[in-house]
Amino acid sequence: MAGQKVLGEAAAGSRSWFATLLSYSSRCRVKMLLSLGLSIMSVGAGFVPFYAVYRIMALGIKGELTWSVATPWLCLSAGAYVASKLLFGASTLLSHISAYTILEILRRDFISKLMRASLGTVQGKSIGAVKNVFLDRIEGIEVPLAHVIPELTGSLLLVVGLAAWLVAIDWRIAIAALACVPLGLLVFAPSLKEYNARYAAYMAESNHVNSVIVEYIEGIQVVKAFNQATDSYEKYADAVRSFKEYTMDWFKSTWVGMNLMASIMPTTLLGVLPTGLALYLIGELTPDALAMCVILALAIVDPIMRFTAFVNEMKSMEYAVADTREFLDLPELAEPSSRARVVGSSVSFDDVRFAYEAGEEVIHGVSLEVPEGSFTALVGPSGSGKSTLARLIARHWDVCSGSVSIGGVDVRAMPLGQLSELVSFVSQDNYLFDTTIRDNIRLGKPGATDEEVIAAARAASCDEFVLRLPKGYDTPVGEAGGELSGGERQRISIARAILKDAPIVLLDEATAFTDPENEDKIQRSISRLSAGKTLVVIAHRLSTITAADNIAVIDGGRVVAQGKHDELLAQCPLYARMWRAHIGARAWAAGTGSKGGGIDD
Amino acid sequence: MIRALIRIVRWTGPYKGRLLAGCVCSVFMTWATAAPTMFAAWLLAQVAADARGVLALDPSWVWLSVVVLAACIALRFVFTYGKNRLQESIGYEVAPEDRIKIGNILKRVPLGYFSEVKTGDILATATTELAGLELQGMKMVDAVINGYVNLAAIVVFLCAMEPLAGLAALAGTAVSSLALTAMNRASARLTPMAHKQTEALAGDIVDYVRGLGTAKSYGREGAAMDPILSSVRRLKDVRIAIEFGFTPKNVVHLVALKLASVGVVAAAAWGFTAGRLDLWTLLALCAFSFTIFSGIERVNDSAHMLGDLNDVLDRIEEIEATPFIDADGKDLTLDRHDVELRDVAFSYGRGGGKRVLDGVSFFIPEGTTCAIVGPSGSGKTTIANLIMRFWDVDEGAVLVGGHDVRELTCDSLLRNFSAVFQSVYLFNDSIENNIRFGKPGATPEEVEEAARRARVDEFASDLPEGYQTMVGEGGGSLSGGQKQRISIARALLKDAPIVILDEATASIDPENESLIQEALSELIRGKTVIVIAHRLATIEHADQILVIDGGRVAQCGTHTELLAQEGTYRRFVEIRSRAEGWRIGS
Repeated sequence: MAGQKVLGEAAAGSRSWFATLLSYSSRCRVKMLLSLGLSIMSVGAGFVPFYAVYRIMALGIKGELTWSVATPWLCLSAGAYVASKLLFGASTLLSHISAYTILEILRRDFISKLMRASLGTVQGKSIGAVKNVFLDRIEGIEVPLAHVIPELTGSLLLVVGLAAWLVAIDWRIAIAALACVPLGLLVFAPSLKEYNARYAAYMAESNHVNSVIVEYIEGIQVVKAFNQATDSYEKYADAVRSFKEYTMDWFKSTWVGMNLMASIMPTTLLGVLPTGLALYLIGELTPDALAMCVILALAIVDPIMRFTAFVNEMKSMEYAVADTREFLDLPELAEPSSRARVVGSSVSFDDVRFAYEAGEEVIHGVSLEVPEGSFTALVGPSGSGKSTLARLIARHWDVCSGSVSIGGVDVRAMPLGQLSELVSFVSQDNYLFDTTIRDNIRLGKPGATDEEVIAAARAASCDEFVLRLPKGYDTPVGEAGGELSGGERQRISIARAILKDAPIVLLDEATAFTDPENEDKIQRSISRLSAGKTLVVIAHRLSTITAADNIAVIDGGRVVAQGKHDELLAQCPLYARMWRAHIGARAWAAGTGSKGGGIDD
Repeated sequence: MIRALIRIVRWTGPYKGRLLAGCVCSVFMTWATAAPTMFAAWLLAQVAADARGVLALDPSWVWLSVVVLAACIALRFVFTYGKNRLQESIGYEVAPEDRIKIGNILKRVPLGYFSEVKTGDILATATTELAGLELQGMKMVDAVINGYVNLAAIVVFLCAMEPLAGLAALAGTAVSSLALTAMNRASARLTPMAHKQTEALAGDIVDYVRGLGTAKSYGREGAAMDPILSSVRRLKDVRIAIEFGFTPKNVVHLVALKLASVGVVAAAAWGFTAGRLDLWTLLALCAFSFTIFSGIERVNDSAHMLGDLNDVLDRIEEIEATPFIDADGKDLTLDRHDVELRDVAFSYGRGGGKRVLDGVSFFIPEGTTCAIVGPSGSGKTTIANLIMRFWDVDEGAVLVGGHDVRELTCDSLLRNFSAVFQSVYLFNDSIENNIRFGKPGATPEEVEEAARRARVDEFASDLPEGYQTMVGEGGGSLSGGQKQRISIARALLKDAPIVILDEATASIDPENESLIQEALSELIRGKTVIVIAHRLATIEHADQILVIDGGRVAQCGTHTELLAQEGTYRRFVEIRSRAEGWRIGS
C-alpha cells in the first residue's frame, strides 16, 4: 500500500507536465482522437480471441469439443486478431503523424518565440543549450505523444475491461488476480521512495558528462597543446567515470527490489489459481469458468506490465516537457501595433534600473541625456554595466523601472520595427544571409537602387574585395563563405547599416574590431556610418573617444561622472586612472620609440 | 540484424562471457515464466476430471498451488536477477571506456580532422549515440537471442505434443522473420536520412540564433525564419515516411504471429478431437497460445533499433580507426630549441586544395623573438599550426631543435611549447584548475606564482571565491582581458622553452591592456618566441620579422632593416600606426 501512495504522490506532482502534454496534443486534435478511437477498437477486437479460445477450452472440459464446433471459434479468433492488428497499425500511423506534426508545431513555436523574446535573454543562453532543447528535448516528446497517449489509454482500458470481466465471473477472483500488483509494488517501495531524487541526480550527472565532453572537444586545441601526457583530461575522465559509478550504484541499489517486483507482478495466477480452486471446491465456480479466469489472468499481465513500463519512463518525459517549456514559455516583448510619433533622435535614460535575474540589480538608477546628433562615449571598468546600458537602447532587454526613450518616446511604446529603423548597432554580429552580397547590402533599404547599394559598399571599403570575386556583387555569400574573412564580412554588414541610414548608431568598440589587419578600413567605414548621427560608443581604447561631446563614466551600474575628456581628467580620479593605464600600455609598446600615432596630449 | 548483433557482442569485449551467461539465464527465466501457465493447465485438467468424477481432487491443492507458484516466482526471480546482474550493467561498463578512448584519440589526430568530420558528429557519437548503445545494446541482444532460442525450444516442444502445432509456429515465424528483415532493411535505408536531416537542422538552429540580431534590426524576421522552418518540415516528412515504411511490415509481423497462435489452438483442437491429445495438453496449448510468441513479438523493436545501433558502431569504429598523426614518432628529448621551416608547402584541403604556404623557409635561433606579420589569410596562423604539428606539411619539413617534427611523438614535441591562442579557451572549471591545466600536478604554490606573474592575482584576489571562482561559458563575469591573463598564466606554469603567441585579441580591454602586456613579457622572457603580431610595439622589438604575403616569405629582417626597404612592411607599419591613433569624430 505504501508503494501505491508514493506512486499517487508522484502522479500528483507530475500532473502539470501531463496537462502540458495534453495541451500540446490538442494541436492535432482530430487525428489524435481518431488514433485513440482506433486504439480502443483494436483493444476491443483483442478481447474476442480470449473469449473464442475460452469457448474451445470449455468445450474440451465438458467433453463436447468436435472439429466442426471449433471451426467458427477459430475463424472468429483469427479474424479478430487480423482486425485488431490492422486497427493497431492504423492507430500507430495516425498517432505518429500527429506526434511528428505536433513536434513540427512546437519547433515552429520555438523558432518564433526566439524571435519575439528579448534578444538579450536569448543571446544569454548558451547555443549548446538552445540546440539541445530544440533538437533532442523536443524529439523526446515524440514517445509520450505517439505511444503513451494511445497505447497507455489502450492498456488501461484493457486492464479495466479484463478486470470487469473477472468481476462479472466472481468478484473474489478479480481481487485475487490483481493482488500481485500491490504485492509487487510493496517490495519495490523502498526504491520507489527515492526514485525522484535519484532520477534528478542521474539527470544532473548525465548533463554534466555531456557538457564536459562538449567543452573537451571545443577546447581540443588547448587540450592538444597542454595535455598530451596525462590520460585524457582528468576532469573529462573523472566525469565519465563518476557518471558510470553513479548509474551502477543506483542499479545495484534497485536490483533486488526491481527484479522481485518484475517476478511477482506478472504472476497473476498466484492469486487466481488457489482462489479459483477453493471456489470450485465449494461449488461456486464451474470448471469452464475457472478456465476463463485463468485465461483472463494471463491476458491482464501484458497491459499491466506495459503500464508499469510507461510509469518508469514518465520521468524522462517529464524532463523533456519541462525543458521544452522553459523556452516555449519565455516572455515576449510587448509591442504596440501602431507607430509612435518620434521627434528627433535624442536618447534619454530616466532613472533606469535593470536586473538580469530578479533581485540582482546591475543598473542602479541611471539618468543620462544623449542629445540629437551628439557623440557620447560610455566608459568604465569591465562589468560596470556600460554595454548593458547601450543594449537597453536597442531593447535587447526591457528595463525593470524607469525608462529609455528615443525622440521623447519610450522604446516600449513603439513597435520593434520602428525601433530598429531608428537604431543601428555595430558589433561583432556581422551575420550575412545566404544570398548574394548585393542583396545582403540591400537589406538595409529594401527599395534601394544598384547605385545606392554600390555607393554604400564603397563607403564601407567593400568595393576592393568584392570586385576581386569572379561574380562581384552577385557572388552568393554562402559560396564565397570560405573566401570572405571576418573583417570583410563585417564591412559588408557595415555597408548594410550605411544604406539603412538609421539616425542613431551604437558602437561596441570591444567587439567591432575583431580583425586587426583590416582595422583601418573598418575604422573608416564606421566614421562614414556615424557622420552626422547620434552616436553612442561603448569605449575601450580611451584614445579613440577623446573628441566625444560627452563621456559618461560608468562604475558599478551608476554614472559616476560626465563631461569632456579634459574635464574628466581633472575631476574624475577613476577616469584619470584608466587613462594612465591605457597610455601606459601603449608606452610598454612604444618603449624607446615614438610610434603610436596620435596619442593625445 | 545478425551482423549488428554480433558486432554488439564483440563491442562488449571482456564482458562477452557475462553477456552470454546472461542470455542463458534469460532463457531459463522464460521457462520459469512459462511454468505457472503449464501448472495451471495441468490443474485445470485435474479439475475437469474431478468434475466428471474420473478422479477426486485433493483440497490440499489450494495450498499446494500457492507453494508451487511461489516456487515458480522464486525461480523466476533468481534467473531475472542473474540475467540483469550479469548483463544490464555491461553497457555502463563499456561505454565510459569508449568515451575515454575517444578522448585520447582526439588528442592525437590532426586538427584538420575536426573540420572534416563535423565536430557535431563527434559530439553526438560520444554523447547521445553512445548512450543509446549503453542503454539499449544489451537489451536488444538479449531480446533477439532469447526470442529465437525460446522459439526453437517451443517448436520442439510443440512438435513433440502435436506436429501440426509445431508446423503452424514455424510457418508464422517464417513470415514474421521475413517482415522483420524487411523492417530492418527499411530502417537501415531510412534512419540515415533522418540522421542527416537532424544534423542539418542542428546547423540551421545555430545559424538562426546567430542571425537573430541582424534579422530583427533589419525587420527581416520572415526571411530569417524561412530556411529553418522548411528544414523543420523536411524532418517531419522524413520521420513520417519512416513510419509509413515501418508500420505495414510491423502489422504483417504481428498478424503472422497471432495467426500462428490461432494455428496452435487449431492444431490442439484437431489433435484432441482425433484423440491424439489428452485434455491437459489441449488446455495448456490453448492457455499458452496467448503468450507463446510474445518474445518474438518484441523482436520488432530490436529489428528497428539494431539498425540504429549498427550505425552507431560504424561511427565509433570510424573514430577509432583514425590514424594517429604521431604513430611513427619517437619519444625524444630536445637539447636545443630553435625552429626551422625548410621549403614548406601546405594546403588545408586533402589532395591539393589552394596552397596556403608555398616554399616557406626560415630559421629562428634559440632564445630569440620572431614576429610574423602579414595580411589576413596570408598563412601566419598556419605556420604556428605546422610548428606544433596540428597539421603535417605537404612538402618540405618543419624542424624543432634540429629534429623533423615527424620524428617525435606529439607528447615529446608539445612538451616544448607554451601557446597562447587567438581565441582564449577556458574550461568550465575554477581559475585554479584552468591554470593548473598547464602543468597537471603543479603545487598550489606553483599555480599561485604563475597567477601572480600573469597578473591574475590583480582580480582574483577581489573575487569572493578567489581562485576557486568558476570560469568558462557559465562564468560570464570575467572580462576578455581577465580571461586572457588566465590563459597566459596557464602557459607560464607550463614554462616550456618555446612560446607561440597569437596577439589578435590582445589589448581590447583598456584597463587590462597594460596588465596583459606585462603578463606577456613575463611569459616570453628568455624563451624562443614566435609571435603572430599585430601591435607595432611587439613587432619593433622582435629580433626577426617575417612578412608573409600570399603564402610566401615576402620580407625578412629587423624593424630598421625592413623600414628602409620599399615593400609590404613599410605599408603595413603606416596603416597600423594610423589605426592605433584613430579617434572617432575628429
